[in-house]
Amino acid sequence: MSSTTRVLFDEPGPRARRQIQVATAVSLLAIAGVIYLAVARFADSGQLAAAKWSIFTTPLVRTFLWEGFVNTMKLTVVSGLIALPLGILFALLRLAHNKIARWLGTAYVEVFRSVPLLLLVLMFVLALPPLGVNLPIFWKICVPIVMCNAAILAEIFRAGVNALPKGQLEASLAIGLTYWQAMRLVIFPQSIRLIVPALVTQLVSLLKDSTLGYAASFPELLRTANVLTARTHTLIQVYIVISLIYVIINLLLSYLARVLERRLNRTRVSSAGREGGAIEDTPVGGVLPMETAPGGAIMR
Amino acid sequence: MEIVLSNWSPLLDGLWITLSIAVLAFVGAMVIGTVVAVMRISPVAPLRAVGLVYVEFFRNIPLLCLLFLVVFGLPDIGVLFNLYNSAVIGMAMFSAAFVCESIRTGINTVQVGQAEAARSIGLTFSQSMRFVILPQALRSMVQPLVNVWIGTLIGSSLASVIGIQDVTAVGQNLNNRYAGGLAVFASIAAIYVVIALLSGGVGGWIERRVTVLR
Amino acid sequence: MKAGPFDPRRVGLGLIMGIAALLLVACGSSASPAASSSASSAASSAASSLAATNAPSSTGTASSGPAAGAPGSVAQITGSGSGEIDKATYDGVIAAAPKADDAMIEANPWAKAIKERGVLRTGGSETGQLFSLLDLETGKVVGFDAGLSQMLAQYILGEPNTELTVTTVDTRETLIQNGSVDGVFATYSITPARAEKIAFAGPYLISGAAIMVRADNTDITSVDDLAGKTVTTQTNSTSLTALQDQVPTATLQPYTNDAECVAALTQGRVDAYVIDQSILISDAIGNDAVKVVGEPFTVDPYGIGVTKDDPSAKEFVNAWLKTIEDDGSWADLWKATIGTVVEGDAPAPPVIGSVPGS
Repeated sequence: MSSTTRVLFDEPGPRARRQIQVATAVSLLAIAGVIYLAVARFADSGQLAAAKWSIFTTPLVRTFLWEGFVNTMKLTVVSGLIALPLGILFALLRLAHNKIARWLGTAYVEVFRSVPLLLLVLMFVLALPPLGVNLPIFWKICVPIVMCNAAILAEIFRAGVNALPKGQLEASLAIGLTYWQAMRLVIFPQSIRLIVPALVTQLVSLLKDSTLGYAASFPELLRTANVLTARTHTLIQVYIVISLIYVIINLLLSYLARVLERRLNRTRVSSAGREGGAIEDTPVGGVLPMETAPGGAIMR
Repeated sequence: MEIVLSNWSPLLDGLWITLSIAVLAFVGAMVIGTVVAVMRISPVAPLRAVGLVYVEFFRNIPLLCLLFLVVFGLPDIGVLFNLYNSAVIGMAMFSAAFVCESIRTGINTVQVGQAEAARSIGLTFSQSMRFVILPQALRSMVQPLVNVWIGTLIGSSLASVIGIQDVTAVGQNLNNRYAGGLAVFASIAAIYVVIALLSGGVGGWIERRVTVLR
Repeated sequence: MKAGPFDPRRVGLGLIMGIAALLLVACGSSASPAASSSASSAASSAASSLAATNAPSSTGTASSGPAAGAPGSVAQITGSGSGEIDKATYDGVIAAAPKADDAMIEANPWAKAIKERGVLRTGGSETGQLFSLLDLETGKVVGFDAGLSQMLAQYILGEPNTELTVTTVDTRETLIQNGSVDGVFATYSITPARAEKIAFAGPYLISGAAIMVRADNTDITSVDDLAGKTVTTQTNSTSLTALQDQVPTATLQPYTNDAECVAALTQGRVDAYVIDQSILISDAIGNDAVKVVGEPFTVDPYGIGVTKDDPSAKEFVNAWLKTIEDDGSWADLWKATIGTVVEGDAPAPPVIGSVPGS
């Protein structure tokens, strides 16, 4: 519980403790009841039959799903690695002094943060080939993901730079560095440390975006699942298993983000440069490590 | 361009569906998200667990996967919604997780001193929440909530994959029938961008209105 | 500056090396044959296809008197087969298919080019029951359409060497026109409108759409009973247009593949599922919750899509079709695939060129 809510809640007295115990028991029963009902209904419709689930024990299906998984990972990592430098580039454009550069950066970021990824993928798959731009399937899904995520990453980088106290930039200019030298030697290294958890969280978002390879017929995990359902007629089971796979991977990545955040906050330089105020409202608090919105858009 | 101009009627229908799904989903998300946020800070442990599981599950599952589960998985548990409702419910549950996180973050940005001061002048829990904490929290929640709204709007385009004729699906149909597909898709992208930018602008205006100048 | 793990120099170097490594991997793997070339969108279906603008003019709506070569009435599902294609039989049928002699190939520029390339590039589906379904073990597609493509490859190259690109209704004609595939084998219905863009060899099979309902349903027995009901079919299939023409009062709710349509029917989202009859029968076998009713109410002639720019393509494929029809390979393939769900011997193959557009 956060410190605010901890302060607000009094230490529960005997009556409150009893109330909490009753509420605990009731809610436990309710939850158990709902789960039991759901599972029972599921079994009734015959979906828990062993035959339907046994396909997952065959090495064939497992290899097939594994290939889909590998493709998903490939797509995620490649898109991430390309989007990263692009994101830095657009962030730098937005931070530049030159008006045209700033305008370019802002235009790109604002447009590509607001466009649905599915639309971009459909554009690459359906609208561009007749015009001659016919990329291999992998790039048909990779390029749209890169375009969208570069915009979001640019925003993350910019938020990282803005989260640093202004004193850092002022001091570097005062000792004679040019703007870009200050950026390269002082600002960026510190801001990267701030935003690494946010970057890992954006990776989670990227992985979720990879499911749109479905629309491009790229054999990533969801698409592989689709082929599997056509082959084995076990629609629900396959989708349940796939969803679990996605959730578990993303949970691991989020955990990694949290571990990174804790590590970095422990080793970082103390609050010498921070403005006063309670912990919660330092500028650093604005660069959240977690995904604050579907799609990962932050700090509009 | 002529394709877009001569087909503005189906495009408008699609746009209406997109907006209605997004708005309904967002409103639903706010309601569910508030409930889940309350569950997460409640002293009752099972409710806290349910809240945690809910948020972790719905933040980490791809939206497309979730929509498939809702459309094809729920009926086997006995809950059958038509496609439109499935899309709304799926998106609402998805965005609710983010709303919940925004609410918790918003409450966390309120300084501890405010809560302490509220308690020390004798306000009860609900009174402190109502008069002191929540108004300040809501101010810092505007930004993330606008982002959730834009995320919901953009995510609603996935409804076209499960067969709903939203503006993305209409674009696909037009592209099937006529040649100049790029213009159609570009116009639809422009529609999304305009709505998103407008929302961002409105959000910024709301935030400026509620900011307390110190 | 502290040279810790996040020292920017190391991070930068690591990033560059990582990007280089992964780009190499990605380029290497995306050059591999399996599904590497262009195009497909979400609606990838195996069954019949949607006419681009106009409805096909050849829809015979008679319920029990289809054109020559049609399979006739719906077979009774009395356990005549399991719907599972036996790999050994299938492979045997393909292997027994004829091979062309070199003179014939030399004389035909289209076939010659394919022989030089060493592989037949096909367009088709991976999720089509009975016609083109991916075999997880071998990674190759199996079915009637798939078998025809493999037989053609064997005819030209001496072995069934095909390279499949998954196609959908939006991408089929484009892929043929820009030369990405040599032939499309995808329950591709012949229509005069499509014949303006590409050439059709065949027809190689005349099929029709039938209706599937839940096992306990008694009010739907023919296409007219569908009026006012909710019906599903596969997106971009000829059944979709046929339904729009014949029962305009029905509410249509298309899904992208067969499994989804059947699920929608059994879960109660829709009242009926309309698609190619053989696909329905293969779904109904082993699924007690559904049954097939009525007679096929459309006539769908399937053809092989080839390029229009080189007339020798259509010539060659038609000649090959005639050959396999005469020597029995066509019938053997039918028996090994569609015959697993439909009783009786293989029907007489349709007359080549008998349908407008072919």
